[in-house]
Amino acid sequence: MHLLVAREGLRTPEVLLPPSKPRLGRRVSRTFAELLNLLQPSHGLASNIPGDGIPVYKLLLCLRYLRTRYLAFVCIVSVMLGVATLIVVNSVMSGFSTKLKERLHGILSDVLVETERADGFPESPQEIMAKLRATPAGYAIAAMAPTVEVFALLQFQLKDRYGRPIPVTKHVRMIGIDPEQQARVGRFAQYLVRQENSPHPSFDLPPAAVDRFSRNRLAVDPEEAFRIPLEDPSRQPSGSSVSGFLPEPSIIIPAAPPVVVPPPDLADTAGPRLPGVILGYSIAHTRYKDPVTGETTEYPLLKPGDEVLLATVGSEGLKPVSSTFIVVDYFKSEMSEYDGSFVYVPLDELQRLRGMDGKCNAIQVRLTEDVRDQGMLVNNQIVPQLAQAFHPTEARVASWQQHQGPLLAAIDIERGILNLLLFMIVGVAGFSVLAIFTMIVSEKYRDIGILKALGATNRGIMTIFIGYGLLLGLIGCGLGTVLGLFITESINEIEAGLTWLSGQQVFDRSVYYFDRIPTNVEAGTVLLVNIGAISIAVIFSVMPALRAARLHPVRALRFE
Amino acid sequence: MLAVTDLCKSYRRHADVVKVLNGLSMRVETGEFVSIVGVSGSGKSTLLHLIGTLDVPDSGSIYLDEQRIDQLPPTARDILRNQTFGFIFQFYHLLPELSTLDNVLMPAYINHSVLGWWRKRRDWRRRAEELLHRVGLGHRIQHKPRELSGGEMQRAAVARALLAQPRVLLADEPTGNLDADTGDEIIQLLCELNQDDGVTILMVTHNLEIAARTDRVVRIHQGRIVEESSRSLASA
Repeated sequence: MHLLVAREGLRTPEVLLPPSKPRLGRRVSRTFAELLNLLQPSHGLASNIPGDGIPVYKLLLCLRYLRTRYLAFVCIVSVMLGVATLIVVNSVMSGFSTKLKERLHGILSDVLVETERADGFPESPQEIMAKLRATPAGYAIAAMAPTVEVFALLQFQLKDRYGRPIPVTKHVRMIGIDPEQQARVGRFAQYLVRQENSPHPSFDLPPAAVDRFSRNRLAVDPEEAFRIPLEDPSRQPSGSSVSGFLPEPSIIIPAAPPVVVPPPDLADTAGPRLPGVILGYSIAHTRYKDPVTGETTEYPLLKPGDEVLLATVGSEGLKPVSSTFIVVDYFKSEMSEYDGSFVYVPLDELQRLRGMDGKCNAIQVRLTEDVRDQGMLVNNQIVPQLAQAFHPTEARVASWQQHQGPLLAAIDIERGILNLLLFMIVGVAGFSVLAIFTMIVSEKYRDIGILKALGATNRGIMTIFIGYGLLLGLIGCGLGTVLGLFITESINEIEAGLTWLSGQQVFDRSVYYFDRIPTNVEAGTVLLVNIGAISIAVIFSVMPALRAARLHPVRALRFE
Repeated sequence: MLAVTDLCKSYRRHADVVKVLNGLSMRVETGEFVSIVGVSGSGKSTLLHLIGTLDVPDSGSIYLDEQRIDQLPPTARDILRNQTFGFIFQFYHLLPELSTLDNVLMPAYINHSVLGWWRKRRDWRRRAEELLHRVGLGHRIQHKPRELSGGEMQRAAVARALLAQPRVLLADEPTGNLDADTGDEIIQLLCELNQDDGVTILMVTHNLEIAARTDRVVRIHQGRIVEESSRSLASA
């Protein structure tokens, strides 16, 4: 017994097939089979076309539909916004990431050899450096600098607006360095504020600092001797209520008589011969955001010539030791973590203070130019070869990337997740393509029938709509790329505009100490975003295109 | 030239199966102008669609010059529709986005790659313009279909059907949507094409007066030919 079943899902029946409704899985596989069948070259009219290639009608109709179907602009705008967003976010994240890595690399040098022994390496720095040069990777060493790194407490005194002393203690990382050697292994000199890019950075006091130190020590007026290092109130922004570290009281209370704060008990020989200290910029400065104007103002807490007390532990028996130092310069890497904790002191002074007898607990290694940027080579070859010089319990050898591995990995993971989430915007654009194309196919039922009656193939009809999706994707991506690059280029101006409009600072410079939002446009990322968005536009146009291709010409011609 | 044998075609409407063609057989000779008449639902249009390879019969066979065409693979059917058959529909079926000229050129657009078209574009364009002049639309070349009257649209559809110099013209109620005078003009045009160019025409119509102007009238009822009359027989 023959039964009638609609052919190709249409009313037109055909004999022979059983009437059971195909299961979803079977229907899906049939759809894919049809799609593959349609994509076979032999199935199309290609053999009918002299010279083969894109038939004129596909191109003509794609372009004509683009000009006449205004709904298509919704797809273009969706794709454009998605692409622009991805480019801007990736460029800003890459800018931050690049700057962060640049700073980390500059601070840490290429390879760090360190020991966890409290008294440092058993050998002298010269012997360790000789051992490192003797390794197979010795050829790649350009410079080395011994350092002593230890946690410490920094103490200095401020005064409140009533003249009462405020002792300030900060937990810092004290690093004993030879400034010239340190400048050779990293970008130490670049990050110094007063001695920026100096070929011979030092802990020497500048004349102004000597003068300030002398005035501090000899000042008759104790207010001047150890005064709160705030700027002249007359120079503060108008409307600012800040004149100290406490808010302006609403009730005027007569100021308490000034309390005499004795200067630190220093030896008579101290004077400028006291050891110098280079403080992290954030340790020596504070920022105040005016609640009325919203402006952020930076105040120095410590200036060159001011004295600070540093306390740490000795190399044996955790004996507390301390010494007074004079601020000679600031270290400003624009990384709040480092600018808020790093304190550089002379290597010999720290060795003396801790009783390390000329030893060090870390060696910073700078590699030669042809090697240092090859991360894989450094991590997989140079570092293991340098590590051969030590027993694993004696020292840890790590590149700057390995040293900051978790942080760098976190940045990459964060970027990946953000990309995944933002790509959903393009996914939404894909759904708008699907919805609008489905509408267009419904509108074009009769036109599809006409084209089939005139000899257009199913494959040809399908490629009109896929080509249309491709065209919309290309235009959307092109516009999105232009928009994204423009926003990236003008991100700081846009941020300033948004800040002005909203009255709230969009990019808080106090977090990173960057003056501008860093951006870095990566051509590969832009290309990937474009390929992804175009693929989405094409993939989401396949379903409506397939529906159009499967349309029976007779049914299409009779469509009212 | 065209031979249809024992053609059967059924459609399913909801749960019912409607037999539209029920063992229909007929022949059409080269250069003949045949009209098919019958009440609505008698299977006239279905017959035309089957002959034009727009649809596939349930059983029976269709031959064009001794070659069976109802079992051809889809690609061959597409080529046949593009190069051998020309279609004229009751509702003109012009593509609204394209100009009259582009509509007429559509069979050539379908048949040519961009490169191939670039080489032959002048020839095709000249031919399309000649056809448009012939059907009286020389002044409407760049107009969109919405800017044409019903008669003009149908004449553009005739020009499109003739572009690829088809051997058989299949016209499905070409005057069904036109007033009497305009319909008369279209029929006159088809008669001229048949007589001057020797194009074989198979036309479905409800209008017996128009049918009477063709070489042969075939009446279909319930999927079978119930009456045939030719002008030569009538005159005899």
